[in-house]
Amino acid sequence: MIQIVRFLKISRRQWFWMVAGIVLGVVVIAANTLLMALSGWFIASMAVSGVSGASFNYFFPSAGIRFLAITRTVGRYAERLITHAATFRILSDLRVWLFKRFVPLSPACLERYAGGDVAGRLRADVDALETFYLKIIAPLAVGIISIVAALFFLVWASPPSAAVMLLFLLLAGAGLPALVHRLSEEPGRKSAVLAAELRSKVTEGLQGVEELILLGAVERQAATVDGLSARVIVEQEHLGRINGLVLGGMALFAGSGVAAVLVTGSMQVASHQIPPPNLVMLLLFSASIFEAAGLLPSALNLLPAAQESASRVFELADAPIPVPDNHVSSTVPAGNEICFKNVTASYLPGEPVVQNLFLTIPANGSVVLTGTSGVGKSLLIEILLRFRTYEGSITVGGVEIRDVPKETLVGIIAAVPQHPHLFNGTIRDNIMLGNEAADDEQIQQALSDSALETWVAGLPLGLETTVGINGSSVSGGEARRIALARALLKNVPILLLDEPTEGLDAATEREVVSRLKKRFGATGDTSMLVVSHRPACLALGTSVILLDGV
Amino acid sequence: MIEPSDERAGNSAQRDTSAERWLLAEARKIRWHLLSIIGLAAGIGLLVVSQASLLASACQRVVMQGESAAQIIPFAAALVLLAVGRSLFTYVLEKKSSAAAALIKQSVRSKLYRKIQSLGPAGLAGDETGPLIETVTRGVDELEPYVTRFLPQIAVAAILPLMFLIVIIPSEWRSGLVLLFSAPFIPLFMILIGKGSESLHRRQWGRLSRMAGHLLDLIQGLPDLIIFGAAKKEAATVARVSEEYRTATMTVLRVAFLSAFTLEFFATVGTAVIAVIVAFRLLWGQLTLQEGLFVLLMAPEFYLPLRNLGLSYHARMQGAAAAERIMPLLVKPIPEGYAGSLMPSAGPLAVLIEGVSFRYGGNRGGVTGVDLELPAGSITALVGVSGAGKTTLGRLLVGLARPESGRILINGVDLTMLVPDSWRSRLAWVPQAPYFTSGTVRENLLLGRPDADEGEINSALEAAAASQFVTNLSHGLDTILGERGAGLSGGELKRLALARAYLCPATLVVLDEPTAGLDHENERLVCEALERLAAGRTVLVISHREQTLSRAERVAEMVDGRIERVVSSAVFLTPCEVAV
Repeated sequence: MIQIVRFLKISRRQWFWMVAGIVLGVVVIAANTLLMALSGWFIASMAVSGVSGASFNYFFPSAGIRFLAITRTVGRYAERLITHAATFRILSDLRVWLFKRFVPLSPACLERYAGGDVAGRLRADVDALETFYLKIIAPLAVGIISIVAALFFLVWASPPSAAVMLLFLLLAGAGLPALVHRLSEEPGRKSAVLAAELRSKVTEGLQGVEELILLGAVERQAATVDGLSARVIVEQEHLGRINGLVLGGMALFAGSGVAAVLVTGSMQVASHQIPPPNLVMLLLFSASIFEAAGLLPSALNLLPAAQESASRVFELADAPIPVPDNHVSSTVPAGNEICFKNVTASYLPGEPVVQNLFLTIPANGSVVLTGTSGVGKSLLIEILLRFRTYEGSITVGGVEIRDVPKETLVGIIAAVPQHPHLFNGTIRDNIMLGNEAADDEQIQQALSDSALETWVAGLPLGLETTVGINGSSVSGGEARRIALARALLKNVPILLLDEPTEGLDAATEREVVSRLKKRFGATGDTSMLVVSHRPACLALGTSVILLDGV
Repeated sequence: MIEPSDERAGNSAQRDTSAERWLLAEARKIRWHLLSIIGLAAGIGLLVVSQASLLASACQRVVMQGESAAQIIPFAAALVLLAVGRSLFTYVLEKKSSAAAALIKQSVRSKLYRKIQSLGPAGLAGDETGPLIETVTRGVDELEPYVTRFLPQIAVAAILPLMFLIVIIPSEWRSGLVLLFSAPFIPLFMILIGKGSESLHRRQWGRLSRMAGHLLDLIQGLPDLIIFGAAKKEAATVARVSEEYRTATMTVLRVAFLSAFTLEFFATVGTAVIAVIVAFRLLWGQLTLQEGLFVLLMAPEFYLPLRNLGLSYHARMQGAAAAERIMPLLVKPIPEGYAGSLMPSAGPLAVLIEGVSFRYGGNRGGVTGVDLELPAGSITALVGVSGAGKTTLGRLLVGLARPESGRILINGVDLTMLVPDSWRSRLAWVPQAPYFTSGTVRENLLLGRPDADEGEINSALEAAAASQFVTNLSHGLDTILGERGAGLSGGELKRLALARAYLCPATLVVLDEPTAGLDHENERLVCEALERLAAGRTVLVISHREQTLSRAERVAEMVDGRIERVVSSAVFLTPCEVAV
């Protein structure tokens, strides 16, 4: 329920489309129910007139039938279009909302979420949220409103019939859904969990297939996948049977409801409380209105899985912002001297990785930090990028970095992070992320400073070569250098490099180091902090600092 | 970022029928299930006719003959019984259809997954893993509605309306004619409009996945977007792409919903016309209320199976699209593997690579005319710039790829002559990113040797310098690792992979960058483990790292897919040589 409210809040901008979809849904059901009721009443009245020879004004009923038939047909088309339009509008809002939420959470919060599966899980969950309005909220609203309206109509037309119909509509529209909700909660949840598990086993098995072949473990792994698949399917079958229960129950209640109205209506006819043709109208009306009740169980059947997805997404989105932007001034730091004074920082609260660190990177100077993995070299870079909080003081150009807006700070820093990401686009797109306005000359310079120009020139499409999803079409070393070129293109006073030569062979590594030295040795308007445990990189700094563990 | 994929649509239009034929062949295996589903649907049809005729005759009695409520009770009771019957039939039908779906999903998934695994990266050239995973998981699920809804619905849409016509015509042939003549328009319009929306839908399929990829790509690259101050701008891109997605989808839906509109139109207008015809014949006394009402009640039921067929059109599209992704994989030829009959000789293996070339289509990372000897029991390091073909050579050696020319001799016997399984049992291969499954440390260790005992495990861990960190884990060997070994550091995972290799009774070991990305301390531990692993085995280690190279007896340097030189590691690591 909380998730539905939350969902509605996020998509409130689309209220008009949502409401319009629901109104049309009610109109369509009303038109159909009234069409059947009117037709029944009309033929019964005509039959009575035919026998009694009394005159009957058939103009209005037959016009009404035509009108309702057209309303039903056109309304249905409009309803489907509008509800889908609403869905896609909501989806668009939702995605933007999520993306904006995730920006401040990155990377400290997102990385705690299932590692590489953030993407897979998120995709499935966001997809599931799509069903929220179209398959859950709209049918529930249409069903409930239509049933209530129908009961009012019956109270007016035949109170005893309204009483029995209330019973059967409650059974079909509330009892059945409640039962379904109870029954499908467990298999729904289980099937989602198992499906995720299946997905991850399939992923592992396909990515590691060569090793599995050599280990002679392919068949065993495939059997594990078979077993998981069978368990997922058992749950899906279970859900299918519950669906059978819904449809069967609906047929039972609708049939019995009509039988009950036959009795109450006949009694009213016999006691002259209603004219005989009204019996036929009541019967056809009652039979048709179960269409509205039928919307409820299927919507509620989907609810548990959708809520599960929604709560996962919201939980992620609600994670506290790991590094709040509490700036007090908005002055841009004037210099590029970086001072760490008594800095303590950690990846996880209570487990400090860096403690009481003092370090100065002089203006336009360069420092290489080295040391074993796990001593917090990368952490220092992440602190400077404001990806993590710190205690103590860090100043850039004399200004405390937590006091300036993150955006201002990041505006004067360029970096190659520990795991740079290449976006699925061309090499040019990826490099120009560093500076949208860069001209060809600047791009060529950045390429040459990262020792990429020969490689790029040798590609048939040159800069327009696509790098694939996650840079899958280029090698690790090439990806790293593309990330380096991107950082160099930004051309700002501070440059942070985390293992800039990772994945490069010795010759290329030397080439990159010497080109970087050439670039920064000459102009000297950049402060550089390099983190590396590779000997070749030590040459990048005017001083080398060995970082020791806590 | 989004481009229309006309080419793809064109190709798949041709493949269309064969993929659907494959799916029909799969469905034939569960034909008894499908026939019983159709039988149950026909049974429900008979119950519907009985309900309508009972209700009509009850109304006749009350409205026209003035019978009392008490006389109507038996009719009401019979109606309740019919409702019970109808609900039982419905439940059994749904149960049957879920069971049928389970059979087909399990068999297709099992077959498909094994096929993809046996195709291996070589057979799958060009297919990305992401979409394959999607096909094995969700793709297979999407076959369900095709097989258990759409297929039976075709039969039901043919049988039920005919059955209903037969019972309607004797009471009211005029209305029967209205039904008869309006019915064919439904499939006709459905096909006409369906054709149009199908090609639109196909194009949408490609767009949809690109669109999903777009958001995820951005989320995965968020830190980089923040560093380059592009996060805000990209939020606008998300909005723009979503907006384009909406417009594109709505264009498809506007057409696709038209077919549902025509269905609805004929069904509703048909019913309305019948109501008016029946009413006037009643007014003129040519019909009893019972007959008239029966026809009116049956009119919507007549159209219902046709409408359901129209609605299951989406199930068809989805199933056919899934089949189009599954079927080509199932018929893809498995790349020619080795199928020799000789057993590799016992003891350390001497390897002789003679003039081996392999380019697998591309120019990057192939090898050309490689000659290399790995003496029995030696450690040879393979170095070279990235893309020089080192990994390819390693894969050729372990038999994951087959040389296009040249040969690999194992103790003088051509690799192609060996029994693949016994050859593999003599091998240990540690790739750059070793395989780890979510499960216990033990499960991951025992992948190659499920029968290894505790003593063997301990000595393997010891040898791989892994026993200490494994003991320190909260549950030791039974600690559960996350996906891809999450929970252990890179260095720890490398050592675990070495321990796994150590457990294998292998005499040839190929290690691809075992020390990449490790700090000095971890590199030292891994190198020492490597030396222990090498005792009595022939080892080929691919690496750039000095510390690793110094452990090798010989260093082979690759340049552009060729072996440039083979020298001792001492010579290779001499500074003046390096500086060349």
